[in-house]
Amino acid sequence: MSLAAMAAEKQSSDLLVKQQAAQKAFKQDVQKFVANYCFECHGNRRSKAGLNLEVALKKPGDPGFSRKWMDAIANVQAHDMPPDDADQPSDDERQRFLDALAQIKYLSAQDPGPFVIRRLTKIEYGNTLRDFLGVDASIAKELPDEVPGEGYLNSLSPMQTEQYLGIANAALQQMRAETQKRLFGAKEAEVRDVARKLARTAYRRPPTEAELDVLVKVFDLGMTNKLDRNAALRLMLKAVLVSPQFLFITPSKDAPTGEKIVPLDDYQLASRLSYLLWATMPDEELSKLADEGKLHEPEVLKAQTKRLLADKRSRALFDGFGAQWLGTAELKDKTFDAQKFPQMTPELRTAMYDEARLFFESIVRENRSVVSFVNSDYTFLNGTLAKIYGLEKQITGDAMQKVKLTDANRGGILAMPGVLATTSFATRTSAVKRGVWVLEQVLGQRVPPAPPNVPALEKQDKRKVANLTLRQRTELHRTNAVCANCHKILDPIGFGLENFDAIGRWRDKDESGGPIDAVGELPGGKHFSSPKELKALIAARETDLTRNLTEKLLAYALCRQLDGYDHIIVDQMLQTIAKDGHKMQTLISEIVTSYPFLNRRIQE
Amino acid sequence: MSHLLNRRACLRGLGASLGLPLLETMGWADAVKGKTSYKPPVRLGFMYMPHGVIMDQFWPKSPESFLKSPPPALEALRPILNQCLMVKGIQGVSISPFNGAPHALELSTWLTASLPNAAKRNQIHIAISADQIMANYVGGLTALPSLELATMPQTHKENQEGLNEGYYSHCSFRSPTQAMPAEINPRSVLNRLFGKTGQSGKSAATDPLDRQMLDLVIGGAKDLRRKLPHSDQQKLDEYLDSVRSVERRIAAIEYRQKEAALEKAGVASSKRKASDSPPIEVKIPEGDKRSEYMQVMCDLTVLAFQTDTTRVSTYIGSTPNGVSYPELGFSDTHHGPTHHNNEAEKVRKVAAITKFNIDQFAYMVKKMAALREGDGTLLDNCIMMWGSGLEDGNKHTRENLPFIIAGKGGGTINTGRFIDTVKGNQGDLLTTLLACSGVPLDRPIGIATKEIKEMRRA
Repeated sequence: MSLAAMAAEKQSSDLLVKQQAAQKAFKQDVQKFVANYCFECHGNRRSKAGLNLEVALKKPGDPGFSRKWMDAIANVQAHDMPPDDADQPSDDERQRFLDALAQIKYLSAQDPGPFVIRRLTKIEYGNTLRDFLGVDASIAKELPDEVPGEGYLNSLSPMQTEQYLGIANAALQQMRAETQKRLFGAKEAEVRDVARKLARTAYRRPPTEAELDVLVKVFDLGMTNKLDRNAALRLMLKAVLVSPQFLFITPSKDAPTGEKIVPLDDYQLASRLSYLLWATMPDEELSKLADEGKLHEPEVLKAQTKRLLADKRSRALFDGFGAQWLGTAELKDKTFDAQKFPQMTPELRTAMYDEARLFFESIVRENRSVVSFVNSDYTFLNGTLAKIYGLEKQITGDAMQKVKLTDANRGGILAMPGVLATTSFATRTSAVKRGVWVLEQVLGQRVPPAPPNVPALEKQDKRKVANLTLRQRTELHRTNAVCANCHKILDPIGFGLENFDAIGRWRDKDESGGPIDAVGELPGGKHFSSPKELKALIAARETDLTRNLTEKLLAYALCRQLDGYDHIIVDQMLQTIAKDGHKMQTLISEIVTSYPFLNRRIQE
Repeated sequence: MSHLLNRRACLRGLGASLGLPLLETMGWADAVKGKTSYKPPVRLGFMYMPHGVIMDQFWPKSPESFLKSPPPALEALRPILNQCLMVKGIQGVSISPFNGAPHALELSTWLTASLPNAAKRNQIHIAISADQIMANYVGGLTALPSLELATMPQTHKENQEGLNEGYYSHCSFRSPTQAMPAEINPRSVLNRLFGKTGQSGKSAATDPLDRQMLDLVIGGAKDLRRKLPHSDQQKLDEYLDSVRSVERRIAAIEYRQKEAALEKAGVASSKRKASDSPPIEVKIPEGDKRSEYMQVMCDLTVLAFQTDTTRVSTYIGSTPNGVSYPELGFSDTHHGPTHHNNEAEKVRKVAAITKFNIDQFAYMVKKMAALREGDGTLLDNCIMMWGSGLEDGNKHTRENLPFIIAGKGGGTINTGRFIDTVKGNQGDLLTTLLACSGVPLDRPIGIATKEIKEMRRA
């Protein structure tokens, strides 16, 4: 038996043991718990808050219910559930319920998830036209923005579909003569061969004969209407550009009948990889490897990943993923009070975005550890942004440059102005929003949404709070029992960042004039008293940091939310990543060679 | 669903053979040549403002005082109040179990009178909206089935109650699972709807062969469709459907060009009366004043209705996030002051924002009232509804949905009144509006149980 086979066997027998343990824990600690504390509202045909656990209880491994269980974990962990006026479980029962649910992933059947066809995003579409026809990627800028979210793309209105036609027309106009010559080939070239070449590139896979028939018919349509050869070929190219095969990533072959799970073909894989890292179509090298059927080999795939990441086009990974992860995608349109923060000009917003981008890219390209997202002693500044750091004397000019930081309170995403600004309100900081951000985006915990009818801070009695700092007001708000459970976790984290104002400047006093009190604690009782100490505590949780980033990037790569089986895969990936010092390129390589990235379920 | 299938079936059937004469028989021109008693169609338009109103500045004191001393918020409508109708007593959809999502649901329940499916809350899963029901019925008769406008990108991200973020900023749903995106760029609406060349100099003219080319592309996608699993087929169909309507719109523009050429040559159009006002001029504003931005979207709605480019429109004047009104002299975004707790300063701001929004609506309907059409005005043949999805933004209540109707709906709506004796709900209201627009319904809309007869002309 080979080493690899032995390892695989060990892995599957380990899994079996875990499955049995999970089954037992579910029976003992979940079923009883749900019957005692949840069923009154979420069982027996009752679905309070839209939640019914009856079927989920019978099929714990069903991926359709994993979201429900994740919500249950979040709510029970935060003591939001069972509600205060209902019977309460003992702390031991609660903990055992949570521990048992944490194992529920082991009950999921092996499943890579579907490879749902999706339309190219606006950015991808523009980039693809750039690489295909040599036009400016901004040609697609009038398309509507997508609603981001786990693989969700809004649908198109007819008027917007027409924009695709308009853009195709404009792209043909902008296309340069030499590009046309390259695409259309010699004068005597067979039209069908020209079509085959165009479609191979544009559809990102070999076209079928039927697809070529259509394109040749479009050419003939042009010729019958007395267009010259080049004009008829341009009409054919336009047909390529508005074809669903161009706008969607589609499979090249029929799925084999009788199979439930199949590997992605190499062409799909090339597209998946290229759109993930570059937000554009596969280049020649990737296409060639796909044609040769070699791309799916792990070593080839890993080498290609390294190559793609080294290329400057991989900034797409930040624009598409990083900016959403950090929240800095919102910077451009977020409202700030113009009187309080006249500094928030478009130039400063751009500099904040670029700081986050260059920092993200430095970690990816230099293959640094995931921990350096939190703890680093450098950043990227220009003259505009340096003012926020109080470094305007040292750093001038419009160009962003790498800067070594001496203040340990700075450095890393927690202390980055772009992040601090997007987690603030228009007029002031929000310890709550920052706390939620750290828990959800950095440590990967799920925070249950605020209960309804929460009175905001603004509603507090003016006289009572007149001389209180924001921290004191927030704490007053927490005396409300409904809110206290979550806020005693959230707020202290946010308080640790109160030294940074709503646009990320350092301050020692709150707006009320009271001194900033940055003392707080993380769940689990670790105390800190400054941003520097908070950063150190979070940086020490490298497994949580890596798990969070791995899960978020995997979901982005797959364009869907993660379900039970994915979490088993993530566990396996984490072992490899940890062994290699939590390095960022290892994390990305693990994702693109992972089971759900390489395979797809064929849906009934 | 049946409506959707009807439209799909209709479009699919026509797809290949859609020639110009067919459009005519479909009623693009509606009038039968030679007949003089042409009756213009009824158009239905919706305009939205989030977060509710200051109630004592919005609701009239009494039915008697409505015309003589209207409430302050309605000042701009004073000249045409006799063409308006107000009704108090229409209850919004109760949002339990999504109690923590008042703003995510105010817009998405507005024209659906339905709640999202709780089990699939992270996806779009609600109900076809009233405007799209109408579009399914009359959309085949015009170049665009429906027009969707907004003034903010529909990309707001705020996860309330785990609901899909699309609920936050969409009011129009083509099917229970498809939100209709809205257009926010007035220039591209003008270019694409009316073939006007924008300042960018990009010609919107379409190639005469495009229509046939698209037809071949659609035909060629059949093979691909067969290869895809069912859920993917739906996505592909969605795209192909919209390509089909592009194809149809090109045909409609060609038809209109032909008609314009005939008119120039002295042959009267079948559709318009000689006394009808000429199409209005739409100017794209240069600056970034919010009033001008909102008004140009109003102009586009007027032009689309006047030229019968579409018969149903939605206009999200603002979405429940982040809109501010510097012209009013303060920088607060809309949501902040709506939780006013009766503080005078905040109440003043909310009242000013509400009035500002109604002023833009008044700008639109007054323009319609000044355009001659058939034997009356354009507004006579329209039903224009302005409204909000909450009554009181302070407490998120929706007891009496605030709304104003302008226009007589081709003689179906009894205007010039304020009715405060009606008891009904949002679904009843939408059902009534569709009935007045001549749309036959095979089922009530959302939570509806009846029509509100009091709104109709006896």
